[in-house]
Amino acid sequence: MDAATIEKSKEKNDIYVSELNQPIKGVSLWKDAWRRLKKNKMAMFGLVVVIVYAILSITAPILPIYSYKYQVLEHQYLPPSLNKNAGQLLLEREEMLLLAMANKMGRSELNQQERDKLVRLKEQVAMETREIDGEVVKVHERRYILGTDSLGRDLLARIIYGGQVSIAIGIIGTITSVFIGIVIGALAGYLGGRIDYIITRIIDVMYGMPYMMLVIILMALFGRNILNLFFALAIVSWLTVARVVRGQIISLKNSEFVEAARSIGASTGRIVFRHLVPNTLGVIVVFSTLRIPSFIMLESFLSFLGLGVQAPFASWGSLVSDGVEGMNLYPWRLFFPAIAMVVFLFAMNFLGDGLRDALDPQSKNKL
Amino acid sequence: MTKFVIRRFIGLFPTLFVIITLSFFIVRAAPGGPFDREKRLPPEIMRNIEKKYNLDEPLLMQYGRYILDILRGDLGPSFSYPDHDVNYFIFNSLPKSLILGSIALGIAVIVGVGVGMISSVRQNTWVDYTAMSFAVMGITIPLFVVGPVLMYFLALRLNWLPTSGWVTGQHGWVTIIMPVVTLSLPYFAYNARLSRASILEVLRSDYVRTARAKGLREIVIMFKHVLKGALLPVVSYLGPAFAGIITGSVVVERIFRIPGLGQFFVQAAFNRDYTLLMGTVIVYSVILIIMNFIVDIVYGFLDPRISYS
Repeated sequence: MDAATIEKSKEKNDIYVSELNQPIKGVSLWKDAWRRLKKNKMAMFGLVVVIVYAILSITAPILPIYSYKYQVLEHQYLPPSLNKNAGQLLLEREEMLLLAMANKMGRSELNQQERDKLVRLKEQVAMETREIDGEVVKVHERRYILGTDSLGRDLLARIIYGGQVSIAIGIIGTITSVFIGIVIGALAGYLGGRIDYIITRIIDVMYGMPYMMLVIILMALFGRNILNLFFALAIVSWLTVARVVRGQIISLKNSEFVEAARSIGASTGRIVFRHLVPNTLGVIVVFSTLRIPSFIMLESFLSFLGLGVQAPFASWGSLVSDGVEGMNLYPWRLFFPAIAMVVFLFAMNFLGDGLRDALDPQSKNKL
Repeated sequence: MTKFVIRRFIGLFPTLFVIITLSFFIVRAAPGGPFDREKRLPPEIMRNIEKKYNLDEPLLMQYGRYILDILRGDLGPSFSYPDHDVNYFIFNSLPKSLILGSIALGIAVIVGVGVGMISSVRQNTWVDYTAMSFAVMGITIPLFVVGPVLMYFLALRLNWLPTSGWVTGQHGWVTIIMPVVTLSLPYFAYNARLSRASILEVLRSDYVRTARAKGLREIVIMFKHVLKGALLPVVSYLGPAFAGIITGSVVVERIFRIPGLGQFFVQAAFNRDYTLLMGTVIVYSVILIIMNFIVDIVYGFLDPRISYS
């Protein structure tokens, strides 16, 4: 071994030693979780999709899309098309229709009268203008990438705005139900005794109820607006959170740090909400992520029955529900909203599963 | 054991009572009545109608009368279909919903556990991956998307199945295929994942190792030793699955135009048909409560660790 190699290995050693001499950086629970989450490809895919959806929903008003409620009645049921505008599609459809009628009558070509009709339509398509949002535009030059619905509204815009409503309902519904659940569950778990007994009994009875029925009844009888929808979904969905939080708190409430807090005279409220609830946050975050898709599904379920979001607003559920009517002839009205919704649900579920594995590595393989 | 069963059985009635009371008052608290029309009825006629259905009495008296009627097994006259009473509708529509729901549930459990078993035995092979990705799809895609999409491809494009109808109609039993598949898919998927996970766990346990050491054949180990323990989570999931299938059947009946209980339930809610609405809710609740009761007892049989004291 010559001197140079020895010198080199010494240097290397120094590097290692100096690395060891660095103060150890504490890795917080969240940082650690984030590191694990980054390794999970499916979860990261989910996260990216969710972020894209979120950006689309938030920036919807400034995106170059049409209004979700502006109707061009001539543009009913236009098929999706990337390169043709509404006028061209209209002309094509009219020509096909006339040809089909001519064929029925035994002619293979259009007669003069029909050709005149087409020419007139062509002129109308080229010339006609309409005022939309204070701007005069050539209405038949609109392009509908995903086609139009039964009232000539742009499906793309409706899907994006519908997503806004669906995601908002998912998030707000989750926050409300988690909030109610945390408060009730924490109180039941910490106070124990009679209060705990009463609360768990109520939860048990409510679990035994077909609570979607209750939601349907509430929506049908008390009017179908978004506020009632939140209310109806929130009052039936805090049960599981309350149960989970209660269980967590019971297992934590006799631990040393609570004892310590009590011994220096912290109040009950402070112990519960400063010391106990933050310790259950991991579970709650995971639960909430998995809760958002189920809220979106609940809302769509109600919309599907005609009890959810009402026109002119849309949600993914109401769009799918609209699409079912006439899906034989206009399948895009069913498929595009359904795909938009299912992709988001998948992403949310992957993200939720990934978060659970990241925050609680022991839960791997559990459902 | 018998004592436990009896005690649990008696415990069902308060729950049912709470449900009936709660739904009665929620329904009555809602604005608008069953006889509100676009054109207002003359007040005398309104009074006569209300008198006929005892709607002019104080609410508590109506409630008492309703409870007494239920105890006699009479769910009252329907408000929106004056020629029939609620019992008639339930008697006609319930069998359809029961057939649909029980076949769907049976498939969800049997096929679900079967797939879970195969997946766990062939863990980390393509069989496992295919089955589990399918299961994830089944859990994630809502059934009101699955139903129309199935209908679009199988019925409208390929013409393999009729779009709607019921077993007593001209197409017979094939009409039930799509509704059953749609309804059972999420629960099948969940059961498959659940049983796969729990079988994998049991396969690692000591008593299975002992059984292997004794030289038992794998198939005996699976069916005699593993399955019994591994079924516990599946059984405890049955309760939520019943509830889900009941709610799901409301949508599936609507998609495939099956005149089952769910259709009447939604119609009644729209029409504010108090008695029909209450009747369907009570029937659903009774089914759910009885099913949960059975699940509790089956669970006890399967898991000797549960004590009945």
